[in-house]
Amino acid sequence: MRAITANRLIDGEVVFWKQGAWIERFADAQFFADDDAAGEAAVEAALAQSTVVVEPYLIDLVEAPGGWAPVSYRERLRALGPTNEPTHGKQAEGGAGVEALLAATGAARSTGRVDLIRRK
Amino acid sequence: MYRYDAIDREFLADRSAEFRENVVRRLAGEITEDQFKPLRLMNGLYLQLHAYMLRVAVPYGSLDSRQLRRLAHIARVYDKGYGHFTTRQNIQYNWIRLGQAPDILDALAAVDMHAIQTSGNCIRNVTADPYAGATAEEIDDPRVWSELIRQWSTLHPEFSFLPRKFKIAVTAAAKDRTAAKVHDIGLVLRRGRDGTLGFEVIVGGGQGRTPYVGPSIAEHLPAGRLLSYLEAILRVYNRHGRRDNKYKARIKVLVAALGAEAFKREVDEEWSKLDPALADAPDTELARIRGAFTPLAFETLPARSEAFETARAADPAFARFARNNVKAHKKSGYAIVEISLKAPGQTPGDASADQMDVVADLAERYGLDDIRVTHEQNLVLPHVKLDDLPTVFAALQAAGLATPNIGLISDIIACPGLDYCALANARAIPIAQSIARRFEDQDRAELVGELKIKISGCINACGHHHVGNIGILGVDKKGEEFYQLSLGGSGQEDASIGKILGPGVTAEQVPDAIEALVDTYLAVRQGEERFLDTVRRVGFAPFKEAVYADAH
Repeated sequence: MRAITANRLIDGEVVFWKQGAWIERFADAQFFADDDAAGEAAVEAALAQSTVVVEPYLIDLVEAPGGWAPVSYRERLRALGPTNEPTHGKQAEGGAGVEALLAATGAARSTGRVDLIRRK
Repeated sequence: MYRYDAIDREFLADRSAEFRENVVRRLAGEITEDQFKPLRLMNGLYLQLHAYMLRVAVPYGSLDSRQLRRLAHIARVYDKGYGHFTTRQNIQYNWIRLGQAPDILDALAAVDMHAIQTSGNCIRNVTADPYAGATAEEIDDPRVWSELIRQWSTLHPEFSFLPRKFKIAVTAAAKDRTAAKVHDIGLVLRRGRDGTLGFEVIVGGGQGRTPYVGPSIAEHLPAGRLLSYLEAILRVYNRHGRRDNKYKARIKVLVAALGAEAFKREVDEEWSKLDPALADAPDTELARIRGAFTPLAFETLPARSEAFETARAADPAFARFARNNVKAHKKSGYAIVEISLKAPGQTPGDASADQMDVVADLAERYGLDDIRVTHEQNLVLPHVKLDDLPTVFAALQAAGLATPNIGLISDIIACPGLDYCALANARAIPIAQSIARRFEDQDRAELVGELKIKISGCINACGHHHVGNIGILGVDKKGEEFYQLSLGGSGQEDASIGKILGPGVTAEQVPDAIEALVDTYLAVRQGEERFLDTVRRVGFAPFKEAVYADAH
């Protein structure tokens, strides 16, 4: 599975794609099957929203005990907030979505991020 | 303290207004992100993992209480109530919104501060000895020269698009508190045999993926010729520095490729073409700047303070603080007070808005309104009367700012790492926290003595791991965080680049590995040897054996 993430232009907040809009919780993100070209098409649509977000990209997901989670540690950290300040960022809200991300393991480079760096 | 004049203030107001307009244009889609990014970076605004990060310049790490209160205000109103002091003696805010950034720049401009040249391929904030104007070790006030460089380098048209960023450090004391030898240019002010002031000019030091201790290309540059010489160096760099490869673009790569001798010849040739009357600062301008740092209103006091001695005898906690955080001042009856931002469990370099206000109040009441930021991510009250030390200590203690660990094992430099930084491969802050907790026992920390641990979350080395007595580099090994240990580095006058000890370890293994290194040191050290001295004397073998014993 894959999801699309970016930072919101106005405040830098980490956001996820959902049916053409941007939402703040990873748990609410729209997922795309790995072989579903709709993922790439959605990134193209996301790139067109250049006054809303900065640098949208696809991230790979992995099935974790609590549901799908970003496979890369970096992306889980983006979806949660900094580990040195547990009350800062999205993790502060708590709840099942946050618990699922915290419980997820499996570490890999952020593939979307690597693609982004390569593109530059 | 240097004060801005009307022209400076008008300029900052204009600059802020210009940025506000650019933000509006970006939000309206009139300019693209690619067009906007260099504009925001020129104003210190980065986009990091969770939000925008604003890096505010603290020229040569020097602040007054009014400015520190404003930094606290910004932390409170525009961030999550804290700020992060950096190894360039600056402050960064981690949770900035683009929409509010212009308001923050206005708030900074109102107290003569800005975020210009805290990013980009230009001359960055000049760092200087945080004890400037307070230590008896200095032969002149490095702030005078730092301010001269600041004025010269700010928006210098020729040096605004260098091959890569450029960092200058200035010290005037034998004990180097600026890491001068690992800067693009390190300036060490000395008095010659004939009594004249001159700079040793060290060029091409640096960290990052290719660390170097810089070679010296001038032993005693007449101080009055500083700007023309800097101009010659920058010009040679601008002409020959590599622009084709970001990783080979720093001046250190050029100096290493040409060799120090050849580089010096190029500089000297360029320098000979410059007219001192045009390229150097006139004496009147130097005198004007010097006037801004005129000796403060020190009182004539006895060297011994009864209040200080009584408190030291009565309160072991105060005595410990005095041993580790209080340094000798040039004036009798005064002291330099280091405020550690490394309480066990704390993020190195972080201070809350309330803590900043406490330090500002103390500076105003007891510290001649002077505050410094150190490159080791602590704060300094450079001028406190010995008589006032017990009161200042109590106030610091109440604010959680009296950790007595300056220069000790838990006084760790750490970059923001993967918790915040878009470039990082691994976290640095939690590693620092776990080590500090492991060595929380202050008696043990004092027994170990001076030991500098420095941690970076990627090869860019913002956490100075190359010059840590123990350096820790976070790496991404097949997507997992691993930590590479190095030994023997120093960023001080005896600068050296540490060497990798052996295979990387996991985050959980780091505190045990540090403990093994420390135990080995305690077992083999001779006399007053520091950790670094012992490593240099005995080599890596016993340390390697201790850390990797279990692996065999």
